[in-house]
Amino acid sequence: MDHLTALENKSIFIIREAYFRFRNIAMLWSVGKDSTTLLWLVRKAFFGEVPFPIIHIDTTYKFPEMYRFRDEYAKKWGLNLIVGRNEGQVEAGMGPGKGTKLDCCNELKTNALKQIIEKNGFKALLLGIRRDEHGIRAKERVFSPRDENFKWDYENQPAELWDQYKSTAAEDNHFRVHPILHMTELDIWKYMKREKIPLTELYLSKNGKRYRSIGCAPCCSPIESTASNVDEIIAELESTHTSERAGRAQDKEDAYTMQKLRSLGYM
Amino acid sequence: MDLSKKVFVLGIDGAPETLLAEYVEQGVMPNLKNILSGGYDLVQMDASIPDVSSTSWASFMTGVNPGEHGIYGFMELLPNTYRLTFPNYASVKAPALWDIIGGTSGIKASTLADKFKGRVPNNLRSIVINMPETFPAPALNGVLTSGFVCPDLKKGTYPESAYEYLRSINYIMDIEASNASDKPDAFFDEALLALNKRAEAFLHFMDNERWDLFIGVVTETDRLHHFFFDAARDKTHKYHERFVFFYTRMDDIIGRVFERFMASTNGRGLFMTMSDHGFAPIRKEVYLNRLFVEKGLLTLDPAREYFEQIGAGSKAFVMDPGRIYINFEGRYPGGAVSARDRSSVVNEIKSILIDLKDSDGNAVINRVYDGTELYSGDESARSPDLVAVGNDGFDIKGNIKKPQAFGTSHFRGMHTRHDAHCVMPSGTAPLGRLHIENIASIILERFI
Repeated sequence: MDHLTALENKSIFIIREAYFRFRNIAMLWSVGKDSTTLLWLVRKAFFGEVPFPIIHIDTTYKFPEMYRFRDEYAKKWGLNLIVGRNEGQVEAGMGPGKGTKLDCCNELKTNALKQIIEKNGFKALLLGIRRDEHGIRAKERVFSPRDENFKWDYENQPAELWDQYKSTAAEDNHFRVHPILHMTELDIWKYMKREKIPLTELYLSKNGKRYRSIGCAPCCSPIESTASNVDEIIAELESTHTSERAGRAQDKEDAYTMQKLRSLGYM
Repeated sequence: MDLSKKVFVLGIDGAPETLLAEYVEQGVMPNLKNILSGGYDLVQMDASIPDVSSTSWASFMTGVNPGEHGIYGFMELLPNTYRLTFPNYASVKAPALWDIIGGTSGIKASTLADKFKGRVPNNLRSIVINMPETFPAPALNGVLTSGFVCPDLKKGTYPESAYEYLRSINYIMDIEASNASDKPDAFFDEALLALNKRAEAFLHFMDNERWDLFIGVVTETDRLHHFFFDAARDKTHKYHERFVFFYTRMDDIIGRVFERFMASTNGRGLFMTMSDHGFAPIRKEVYLNRLFVEKGLLTLDPAREYFEQIGAGSKAFVMDPGRIYINFEGRYPGGAVSARDRSSVVNEIKSILIDLKDSDGNAVINRVYDGTELYSGDESARSPDLVAVGNDGFDIKGNIKKPQAFGTSHFRGMHTRHDAHCVMPSGTAPLGRLHIENIASIILERFI
């Protein structure tokens, strides 16, 4: 069995396992390459029919290309799409220019998701995160419990040996399930190439720049790149040493700095 | 090897000369007392203007004024906008001590570096622990781990082996200041723990690295002061004992590093402790932006955030701590003051501030400095136009959201400009009043 097939099998096993154990689950789709790959795997796992809702958290600040892509494929793939928006905060004008970026993420992403989970009583969510994305994610489990405040207690997690996943938790908890945790950025691109998975054009070079990681438009910066198709992206990644989320790092640092300064009475 | 050419500086963020003198007198700090009776002086020192840590530490590490090093505060506006940005080490335009003696100045130049050019070696090693305003860590000849604000220990530490070590001891970059009001005990616990980690790191690098200059900084004192400075002298305060205990631990650390340093240099090295500013209890916080609104100098659009609220036609605004910027045409998108009107606007602001009294009739502002008198150098064009320094007890703030010009909060201590301290061998201080920019020269003289 080749490498990509082995990765695919593992992911499909996890997806089916999660559905079997929890039944009332949903998947988070950011419309980025990772969660679109995950969605592809979910479709494969259930032979084209996705048996649970797909959630898109809409901060209202996504790129227009992302909204177009979402609507096109939600229709094409017959998805039960739930669009989650923290309406109260959107109306109040929350945005990256108001409050800190941390506040903005908190309200428009985290709290929007909390509202959906509460409303639908989901027991587990499938997420397309990968271990190589960020240092902290290396500590993630495939089945990762969260408490009612979404808190992830990474110092107290079940061991996951020989694909034995723990799926019972305290009453108020829900699980995050990470079927592509074991894939790397490069694996994703190679798999997308093999499967011809559609992607938004934001990832492809235009005027010498492309996005390596996408989210909300005001908080993403493109990287210098001439890679205008998947093959060129793979070639580029095989020779790069900068991290995938470099375009997002500055914002995180600024958000941290702002929180620190505020706690000491500045700002 | 000449053992006298070794320098150890212990930075104690925000430790006031007056408080240290009292604690020495009262027996809270027996080790410091010992040091002082053995040929060292506790000297009161002036901090930078503004007396904020980022500016003052930059003045310490470069030995030049903000007009040369370019750091005027923890935040700035991006050129031609009202959008916030946070200066970091990349914004420090003058070479630091470790650059001057380590041969890593690169294209950076300063009056201090010129003065010592060719007179000090350029191959000396520095260890710099928890130095504010040094993120991301530069590749220096030695070891550096950044202090406040350091959002990422790995990026804030050079070289990577030092990062691995710090991680292995569960080093604490910065304590959670937001605990101070609702979980004060946890706050004190963490402050002590962080202090112990700093000390552990100091001793580790002292023993395991080769070095000529060592700068170790403790920032927990500043955090404690911000929230509990009222406990420093008030024996009936609920947290007085914990506050004093923290200083006892601080004193242990002073004693330990002093002893170890002196043992390793046969008593000939140069040892100093110093702070970047002093502290005083807060009576009132003073929100100058609100005052400017009341006086018709500033209009704000509450639908926007931070300084983007500044409305067209505004004449001036204030950023922390007392940096006053005139809303000049051409400098800001909504600029409304032409260059030839500078002096009339300056006079208007000065007269408002000099007359400012609190509800009990106390004068709020000690002095309003003109940026053109304070700063000189390539970076002085970006300087604040005026800097207001408050009298002790009146904490000048740049907060733009407050509904009144005066207020109180959970903060109990404010920075002061005049009460920083330096402990140095008797006879080392230059004549006249000591200023934080003088220390770098004193250190460099040692390496000649």
